[in-house]
Amino acid sequence: MDPLKQLVFNQHILVKLPSDNLKIVELKPNGVLSLGKFGACYVNDIIGYPLGTTFEILYDGNETEVVRGSNSVIGKVRVCEQGVENLGLASMSESSTPQPVDFTKVESSYTNVNLIDIGHKVQKLDHKEIEKMKLESVSGDAIISKMIESHGSFHQKTIHSQEKYLKRKKQKFAKYFTAEYLGSSELLKFLLEKGDVMRVMDLSEESLGMILNLSNIRSHGTYLCMDETGGLIVYALMERMFGGREDSESGTIVVVHENEHPNLDLLKFSNYSEDFISKHLKTISLLDYFEPPTLEEVTGSFVQLSNEQLRELKSNKKGAYYRRLKRYHADMEIIKFSSEVTYDALVVGSTLQLSTLIPRLAQRVHGSRPVVCYGQFREPLLELSHTLYATLHFLAPTLLSVRCRPYQTIRGKLHPLMTMRGGGGYILWCHKVIPAEQQPEGKLVEQAEQVEQAEQAEQLEQDTYEGITIYNEQKDSSDRQIA
Amino acid sequence: MWNYNEYKDVIEDGDVVLIWVSRDNVKPIKISSGGVFNTRYGSFKHDEMIGKEYGSQIAVRTKSSKRFGFIHVLQATPELWTQSLPHRTQIVYTPDSSYIMQRLKCGPLSRVIEAGTGSGSFSHAFARSAGRVFSYEFHEVRYEQALKEFQEHGLVVGGNVTVTHRDVCQGGFEIRCGDKTSYEFGKGAEGGELVELRANCIFLDLPAPWDAIPHLGAVIARDERVGMCCFSPCIEQVDKTLEVLEKYGWGDVEMVEIQGRQYESRRQMVRRLDDALERLRDVKKRKQQGVERRKRLCEQLVSGEEIDGDVRPSTLKTGYNPFGKGSRVKEGDGKFEWKQVAKIESEIKSHTSYLTFAFKIVDKTRDEKQAHEVLEEFKDFNPNVKATSKRQEKRQVQQSVSPEISSTKLVKTSQK
Repeated sequence: MDPLKQLVFNQHILVKLPSDNLKIVELKPNGVLSLGKFGACYVNDIIGYPLGTTFEILYDGNETEVVRGSNSVIGKVRVCEQGVENLGLASMSESSTPQPVDFTKVESSYTNVNLIDIGHKVQKLDHKEIEKMKLESVSGDAIISKMIESHGSFHQKTIHSQEKYLKRKKQKFAKYFTAEYLGSSELLKFLLEKGDVMRVMDLSEESLGMILNLSNIRSHGTYLCMDETGGLIVYALMERMFGGREDSESGTIVVVHENEHPNLDLLKFSNYSEDFISKHLKTISLLDYFEPPTLEEVTGSFVQLSNEQLRELKSNKKGAYYRRLKRYHADMEIIKFSSEVTYDALVVGSTLQLSTLIPRLAQRVHGSRPVVCYGQFREPLLELSHTLYATLHFLAPTLLSVRCRPYQTIRGKLHPLMTMRGGGGYILWCHKVIPAEQQPEGKLVEQAEQVEQAEQAEQLEQDTYEGITIYNEQKDSSDRQIA
Repeated sequence: MWNYNEYKDVIEDGDVVLIWVSRDNVKPIKISSGGVFNTRYGSFKHDEMIGKEYGSQIAVRTKSSKRFGFIHVLQATPELWTQSLPHRTQIVYTPDSSYIMQRLKCGPLSRVIEAGTGSGSFSHAFARSAGRVFSYEFHEVRYEQALKEFQEHGLVVGGNVTVTHRDVCQGGFEIRCGDKTSYEFGKGAEGGELVELRANCIFLDLPAPWDAIPHLGAVIARDERVGMCCFSPCIEQVDKTLEVLEKYGWGDVEMVEIQGRQYESRRQMVRRLDDALERLRDVKKRKQQGVERRKRLCEQLVSGEEIDGDVRPSTLKTGYNPFGKGSRVKEGDGKFEWKQVAKIESEIKSHTSYLTFAFKIVDKTRDEKQAHEVLEEFKDFNPNVKATSKRQEKRQVQQSVSPEISSTKLVKTSQK
């Protein structure tokens, strides 16, 4: 079985519930998948099915097992032939799955003119009866049918209103779930839904995708990264580089961290082994990165022993030797990644002051390779862009944002959703370049050029008040490069 | 062969490079010794570029003056390539393409179908990230152009792109021996008479995607979740697409719109109220001086006194002028205080297209035999026992074996 295609043991997956709530679950062999009021089932029953499958939890009344510490009964599962939303309303008439209500048989009203709002009294079933049905593990569809039967004015609702009612009730009583692959987008969705907006720096799926494309991530690249989201950006990079497989020999991400130890917590949800992660992911603190030990210091303080010498060592000294050897390799790696390697991209999501951070961090980025910086707020990136404009090592710093606007996607009722999540942050994108030697003269040229520009700008952009013109100096860094 | 998808450090003869003149003027050229790249700012010799590192700025002295002209020589990326394309043609821009790739989980294992190829800009982005790309173009001239370009970029031979001349709405997506395609039959594992596409990532940029969707069944992967995106500018197209998607069993349908915005980094002068007041006071004071002078002159004239010692005050222009009024002030001039501001671009791409996403799993069964084997393998596993932590495990290993073998082997083994 392939953990990228099917549900396998010991894998973290995302579970989507009828209420649109999300849950991360580890599929432990012989374990129980407990979904609270939406029921429970055995992990073994869903293993082997394709990732993305929707399962319905069924009860035939013979169940005996209960989830430990709760009263939810463990049921059987059945694969839903159609996706969750298709069980709902849009496909009501043609749908092959049994529906709680056959809309062709239920009366509906052309308008809601006769509908009087009398609150919950219209429902003749009371709370206790519904709870009792739930305890008896009556299927969601049966509860909803019963509720509609006992609803005093259901026939006075319009058909649209009836559909909405049904959808609401399904979100409450239906017992199905979708088991999805836990990629970077899903992980982000989960964190946002959970309310961890600050933790992921208000990142959005569209901004994440933009970061990956702008930084030109490829399988075999060597990337320098700072990630304050707890590893989400790093995970997204890994997915683009390795696609969930562990057969790649090349491709390295060097993560520079601000604290003594890196925080890449979220990688525990990834399906990469620790061995693979430690091979392709190197972490260095900012201090070690900018002030690495010298080669002399490292080689001077450690003498490598031959096998014979090793054999003669006592076991406690042997342990100490191995610790020093490990330290030696770690130091050599620090030297390599801080002063030898050139990087194929710099990808940063950090709340450190970017205008001081990026110019220094980008020093080891190769010419013509992208620098991409994500920030929750626009102002620090704006400051950074002004700073980068002032040096000649960064080509065309571009400040941008991406926003995704979701639509209600129902035929004949297409419109943008009435509310959506704000945020999504901002991105600064530029390329590392190597200035030409003729620069001092070039500077003079630049000024001459600016006078020329000024004359043009004056005509174009007459922001004139009391006879004074203020014009734009540098819409584009490239403008100044041409004499 | 020069390959678009490999990082290069140094510019060499035969490379296809992007010459950055300005943001709106990025030109792809093929470097050939002896060649010249002409701009209105000067002529740049290719030999000046060969041997330099990618990203180098190249200067050339213009004929007429002592000035220099500058260009940057960059290695192409799909994003820069998109920027270099003439904006006449319909292009999928980076905000859209990056979202589509993220949402369809485009990675080394993706097998992509793209129809149509168009300008080829999205093909380049797919080719960078995906394992295989099958691109279809029904317009013969555009097919030839795309094929030539992909070959020049090393994406076809030794690359991962197959481009086929086909109207997918009519003829579907299957590629057979004898079709007009860049696919090389009889070579490698994927040879034979019919290409096994097993696509899991589909992008349809077609005027009538609903005519192509029914043909997808034959070429998509059957044992995994397949994602697709239709790129349509009109909402009527979306509506028709939704109808067909439902009919052919595609689920999780969602339509979205992507809005990309760019901002200019600008500066606005900080002009304080106190300075404005002070300036007005100054103007008023000098006005007063003028009035008094005129009054005095007038009185002297009337009384017949001799006008003597009168000097016109010369301070009119050099009065208190905190904002540089009357002179040309450059944005960011060091003599003044500035506030950094961001200005949205003056023309925004307010609508590119609607992106309709849909997903499908063809075969929703499990291999019962395989499942049984796995269940057998784990039948003694107790899910309620907490897995030993890395440190504990290490300690156990260290206690029993020599320290070299302390590498931790975690539970993931079952997946392979």
